[in-house]
Amino acid sequence: MPPIINKEKCNSCGICAEICPTDVFKFVGKKEPPEIKYPEECWHCNACVLDCKQSAISLRIPLPQMMLYVETKKK
Amino acid sequence: MIEIDQNPIEVDVLVVGGGIGGLMAAINAAKNGARVIVAEKANTKRSGSGATGNDHFTCYIPEVHGPDINLIAKELMNSLLGSYQDISMVITFLEQSFDRVKDWHSWGINMKPHGFWEFTGHAYPGRPRIFLKYEGYNQKEVLTEQAKKHGVRIENHTPITELIVENGEVVGAIGINIKNEKPLVKLFRAKSIILTTGTANRLYPPISPGWIFNTAFCPSNTGSGRAMAYRAGAKLINMELPNTHAGPKYLARCGKATWIGVYKDPHGKPVGPFVEKPSKELGDITADVWNSVFTDYHKSGKGPVYIDCTEISEEDLQYMLWGLRHEGNTAMLNYMDEEGIDLRRHMVEFMKYEPNLIGSRGIEIDTNAETNIRGLYAAGDEVGNFRADIAGAAAFGWIAGKSAAERAKGLRGFHDAENNELVKERITLYTELTKRTKGPSWKEANLALQQIMNDYAGITVRSETLLKAGLKYLRDLKKKVLTTIMAENSHNLMRSLEVIDLIDCGEIIFLTALERKETRGLHVRSDFPFTNPLLQDKFLTIRQEKGHIKLEWRDRK
Repeated sequence: MPPIINKEKCNSCGICAEICPTDVFKFVGKKEPPEIKYPEECWHCNACVLDCKQSAISLRIPLPQMMLYVETKKK
Repeated sequence: MIEIDQNPIEVDVLVVGGGIGGLMAAINAAKNGARVIVAEKANTKRSGSGATGNDHFTCYIPEVHGPDINLIAKELMNSLLGSYQDISMVITFLEQSFDRVKDWHSWGINMKPHGFWEFTGHAYPGRPRIFLKYEGYNQKEVLTEQAKKHGVRIENHTPITELIVENGEVVGAIGINIKNEKPLVKLFRAKSIILTTGTANRLYPPISPGWIFNTAFCPSNTGSGRAMAYRAGAKLINMELPNTHAGPKYLARCGKATWIGVYKDPHGKPVGPFVEKPSKELGDITADVWNSVFTDYHKSGKGPVYIDCTEISEEDLQYMLWGLRHEGNTAMLNYMDEEGIDLRRHMVEFMKYEPNLIGSRGIEIDTNAETNIRGLYAAGDEVGNFRADIAGAAAFGWIAGKSAAERAKGLRGFHDAENNELVKERITLYTELTKRTKGPSWKEANLALQQIMNDYAGITVRSETLLKAGLKYLRDLKKKVLTTIMAENSHNLMRSLEVIDLIDCGEIIFLTALERKETRGLHVRSDFPFTNPLLQDKFLTIRQEKGHIKLEWRDRK
């Protein structure tokens, strides 16, 4: 579920938990990565991805939110 | 009992919500000598619908548009921003809009990324263009810095949940700090309060069933300003007139005018009349004008409708991708890269999203941003008689900040707001919610609300019998929610109170939709199927006075 924290890269600074507009993360202290406590409340705004200084976060867009597309008709 | 900070916080101007409107209000209130606190639900650096950016800003620049401001006002009301607005508000906004552009530019938000005032997006062929293209990716960070520079105190993770009004005058507010697992109630004494809580989302079922947070606008924005204002006796306006946005299916995103392409049916035939060869100056405005095009095509079996960007130049494609980044759509762009969605060869399906409350449906203010409650101001997406989205928030936030500071200057002491009976009442409610060990979650309540809104006050059909039934069901739900919902920690308390605010917004929609006995836009009354010209320039307001609901019509100003 989104977002995904790369535990190898995360330095547990807690910025993601601090800035998330929908309070998805729970900061659990400077020793371990934040818990993704409310994954279903992710807005997929990318704020955590953009603000993580360690580039430790990525988003996975859930299946119900997949974008629908087709090849363009050639004229 | 829920924990309460026993020391009330005294402040000249309390700003409720640190989005674009709130931060602009705070900066200008501080510039005008007030001590200011912004109470923000999340963190002002990344909160609200402008969290990760925006790339177009409605404005009037005389050197670009010429001397006739009325021409631009007319264009604004013909745009997707719509005509449910007071002309006096539109003119006040336009007069000040360029000053706000210059402020932002001088603070470090690049309003002139290509070296000139560039107007693109949401444009009709052959008509003045009113949306200034800008690089808004850093807007929240820059405005937060400016607020701090001016001495504004920012209380993050502290949503305001109730206003305290005595004798028609606002005197304080209740807030809840949700930073820790256990909520902490904070009480504020304030001389002026500015409401800037944004849009109201999560009222209607989302485009993906049950997936409540798949919204184009920020799902933490839940109409709390409107609900609090109404409970405090403020006037709301235009609440019965639904608004819907459109964008890519199924990833709900704002920014449809940032896309440069042509809306086409599956055979490659354009669905609208405006453009065949799109460019950055002129994309396809069909969806702004023909709001239901995607649904209409789908229902008739002629759909789906796609946006085709394959015929634009590589230069315009790069311009569009740059715009989408600044519009805050980096998650979508990353996803498209990962999935191999290439706009050079793929068409993306678009759809209409669920209704939400945005500007032109909300709190009534005057041109000084004041409500009918003395000392209570509002700005941004929750204003009901005006709409210009992010630019409107910037301009009226600024105005509200000045008005609120001026009022505070004239007042000597503070009222003991914390002793008001309402404080006791609300604290009892919050305590009950957090003490209950069994009962439904906020999520159940939210889903129950959404299905009632959709089935009885939706955008397909409304009628007296449906609305009356829905209103009864909604009130039944409200009673159940208030007496049974449980919130085991501060996060869920915040969400529960959001849903209670949404239910209040829903109730107002039912009451006003019953009163508007005509069909207008997406307010489709099967029992009054025509649009009544006599109501063309009339707006419907609603307020509570001594426990009674007052519905009143007034002329457009």
